[in-house]
Amino acid sequence: MTLQNPTYRPPAGTADAAPPRPAGLRALAQRHLSKLVVAPSFAAILLFVYGFIAWTVYISFTNSKMLPSYELVGPDAFSKLWRISRWYVAIENLLIFGGLFIGISLAIGILLAVLLDQRIRGEGVLRTIYLYPMALSFIVTGTAWKWILNPTIGIQEFVRSLGFPAFTFDWIVQQDTAVYTLVIAAVWQSSGFVMALFLAALRGVDQEIIKAAYLDGASLPRIYWGIVLPSIRPVFMSAFVILAHLAVKSYDLVVALTGGGPGYASDLPATFMYEMTFRRNQIAIGSASALMMLATVVAIIVPYLYSELKGGKRV
Amino acid sequence: MSSLTSALPPAQGTGARLARWGLYLILALFAAYYLLPLLLMIATSFKSPEEIRTGSLLSLPRELSLDAWSYAWNRACIGADCRGMAPYFLNSVAIVVPSVVLSTLFGALNGYALTKWRFRGANIVFAMILFGSFLPSQVILLPMARTLGVLGLAGSTGGLVLVHVVYGLAFTTLFFRNYYVSIPDDLVKAATIDGAGFFQIFTKIMLPLSLPILVVTIIWQFTQIWNDFLFGASFAAGGAQPVTVALNNLVNTTTGVKQYNVDMAAAMIAGLPTLVVYVLAGKYFIRGLTAGSVKG
Amino acid sequence: MATLSINNVRKQYGAVEVLKGIDLTLADGEFLVLLGPSGCGKSTLLNMIAGLETISAGEIRIDQRVVNGVHPKDRDIAMVFQSYALYPNMTVARNIGFSLEMRGQSKAERDTAVRRVAKLLQIEHLLDRKPAQLSGGQRQRVAMGRALVRDPKIFLFDEPLSNLDAKLRVDMRTEIKKLHQRLGTTVVYVTHDQIEAMTLASRIAIMKEGVVQQFAPPQEVYERPANMYVAGFIGSPTMNFVRGTLSAEGDRLGVSVGRDRGLFLPLPETPDQAPDQAGHWLGQEVILGIRPEAVTCHDPAAAAGNPALARVSCRVDVLEPTGADTITYIQLNGQEVVARIKPSDRVTEGATADFMIDMARANLFDPKTEQRI
Repeated sequence: MTLQNPTYRPPAGTADAAPPRPAGLRALAQRHLSKLVVAPSFAAILLFVYGFIAWTVYISFTNSKMLPSYELVGPDAFSKLWRISRWYVAIENLLIFGGLFIGISLAIGILLAVLLDQRIRGEGVLRTIYLYPMALSFIVTGTAWKWILNPTIGIQEFVRSLGFPAFTFDWIVQQDTAVYTLVIAAVWQSSGFVMALFLAALRGVDQEIIKAAYLDGASLPRIYWGIVLPSIRPVFMSAFVILAHLAVKSYDLVVALTGGGPGYASDLPATFMYEMTFRRNQIAIGSASALMMLATVVAIIVPYLYSELKGGKRV
Repeated sequence: MSSLTSALPPAQGTGARLARWGLYLILALFAAYYLLPLLLMIATSFKSPEEIRTGSLLSLPRELSLDAWSYAWNRACIGADCRGMAPYFLNSVAIVVPSVVLSTLFGALNGYALTKWRFRGANIVFAMILFGSFLPSQVILLPMARTLGVLGLAGSTGGLVLVHVVYGLAFTTLFFRNYYVSIPDDLVKAATIDGAGFFQIFTKIMLPLSLPILVVTIIWQFTQIWNDFLFGASFAAGGAQPVTVALNNLVNTTTGVKQYNVDMAAAMIAGLPTLVVYVLAGKYFIRGLTAGSVKG
Repeated sequence: MATLSINNVRKQYGAVEVLKGIDLTLADGEFLVLLGPSGCGKSTLLNMIAGLETISAGEIRIDQRVVNGVHPKDRDIAMVFQSYALYPNMTVARNIGFSLEMRGQSKAERDTAVRRVAKLLQIEHLLDRKPAQLSGGQRQRVAMGRALVRDPKIFLFDEPLSNLDAKLRVDMRTEIKKLHQRLGTTVVYVTHDQIEAMTLASRIAIMKEGVVQQFAPPQEVYERPANMYVAGFIGSPTMNFVRGTLSAEGDRLGVSVGRDRGLFLPLPETPDQAPDQAGHWLGQEVILGIRPEAVTCHDPAAAAGNPALARVSCRVDVLEPTGADTITYIQLNGQEVVARIKPSDRVTEGATADFMIDMARANLFDPKTEQRI
């Protein structure tokens, strides 16, 4: 399925082989066409990705406040960052949010994939229903969930009107629970995607293995738990990496659902960075926090990519 | 794709039948969980403010009122601008169309060059482009804002097009590269011997074979760019903002009485294009998701 | 039509040398088969002739013109690929005419040329179809049509039949041979199938690990293989290799084989095979190569008139009838040897029977270098 492996294949011959070698400028251009075609994109990536990372690194070592200053002052911004209690809130929230979001999404996604794999009538419709939230903007879904979770008009009010006046579900307005509402909405949005990933992987498992296990007398749950799921282990890895990456980058959902509130109780690093950079005029600190996010993503992605590229398991 | 268990004979007996009912029940409950927010949004958008206040959360609208929709579309106030969502919707269209076209075109060319005309270092180039898809956007926000300022593109839709094209390249290149890897190199060899050049092979042979991945890429880029909020909020000023930013501003306006039906109608307006695309071309969307899953 | 000469051609990928100095010269109208196992460099060489791979050293000439730096389209060659490499998005007609389209020929010219080729290959009824709608054999024909349409100087075939089923492969093989006889164009044909090589080639170049082992007409390759590798690669069942000692009995030179070298097989009496011509080989270990068909059931009538036929008595282990003849595994004084006998020959498994070995068709190899002596 997915995750095509960008490994190097042995020289297929077409590469630098075909170009002709007659003289002249046109011939020269012809010979390097491939490189010329990729060059603009590569240059753009070099500048807008790698150049900008370097730029942000530089800024984080200055004392930039409202406007970028280019005078280096050392790692002051980093030490300041780690003295801001709001940053600790954001980090702690990220751990809570990330852990729950990844765990629950994986659990629901795998469960749904396995259940959908049981020759279900209407599988196509169900799949569409499970996955559609992924097509929506976090701003749209945040708007909907904000309303549903609003104590005075949403679920709390609805259950109370059914005759349970003591029922309370006001997480979204409570300091210590607001972050869990992010989990609810994010799981709703992304678990269908995990389902799609695992369903595709399940469909790729060799049927002979299933038949063999069945003939050996294994029960269906045992076949899944003992044979099928272990055989698609790489998908766990992919799903984890994708979800972790989504969690670190989460910004839209927080803005739309809680706005980081109450106060800054549901801040995540992404909203913290935006706040510092564009509202608080603490550009250096904002840049430092952005680099912390980058470091987190790199720490997750690089080992993963490395194992994907080295392993060469799937092409 | 066939069900994994279709290799096995169906289970027999009452127990099996009960398990089957339980299975469908669980699946139906999950379907309700995923559908409910959307249904609530739709239902609420058709209700009058009066009905929202007095009625139940789950009740269907007593009469279908399009007032909230038309109000959200052309009268609602986004900040001080009371022209509704319409101009922002058009902004999004103006941003999405060129961004999708350009990023897809570059992605196709890159994928073709990187697979069929591999040059020394092609894999390093690809790996470096690929990394861009993992980049947390926060890292480039500030330099990008400054750069757009220098280019005179600050606050404009043109600036957003540039941003989306650049940061979309990683995905589009990945999609096309992985697709073209599966097209036999012999085709390119044969065409070379037949006398076709680099671009002739691309336009006459590769592109006509690329329809599936073209659809996947276009849908993927369309949903990503349409749904973008961070870049829109960071780089677009006032009248140039995309629909997601407008929606957020509308919903978070604290002045006046909260009109939930208008909020929901506006949310539906912002969400409808991707939703329609998804329902119409869902299987390509899934393929895009899974094909792009190296990215996140 | 053209001559082709390949002079000391080498190919390196980084530190790996896959072609180690290839020298081949073809006259106009020849059918060269590059034969060898996968990884021997035969396809690389073909790609270099086509211009799809750069040449690390040496030169390739087509009609005396050095083509090293010449673009494939300007070499006047055509190629048929193992995968056929038909353009899936184009009809058969457009596939065949594509090279003409690239050369700017008009639609009318192209149509005429495509019709001519389609008629030749009997695929006129397929012209409007897409490759996906064709069977394997039909695709093969279209691939040939695409090569034929330009009337090139040289045809290159890269294992063109290996994706076909056995029956079709034989049919197409014959057809390729007929086509070559009819058109007389120079052909370079890559395969790992020795039967294809034997049936089609005017000369075979057998390759192994980037080196040409032997470059000769098929019959010569079969009868006088340059080394044990070639001897073993060509022919099925493979040639018997029997360890022995070159020795003399009286004025007869022969090979002593088997247990205690107790069985003496005399070589035919020819001037250069007298004992005094054997020089330092006398008394040395040699390997006797005998084709299975040179080992047959003893036939007194034939043996009487041919002194080269050595009579041996052997136990029969296994019989494998193939219909036309019977492959027989026998014990030649303690060594297993494969014989090809007639189905009418009366031998039974486990019993001992008389066989005769045609020593005129034997080859001797040096066990150290594996070269033919």
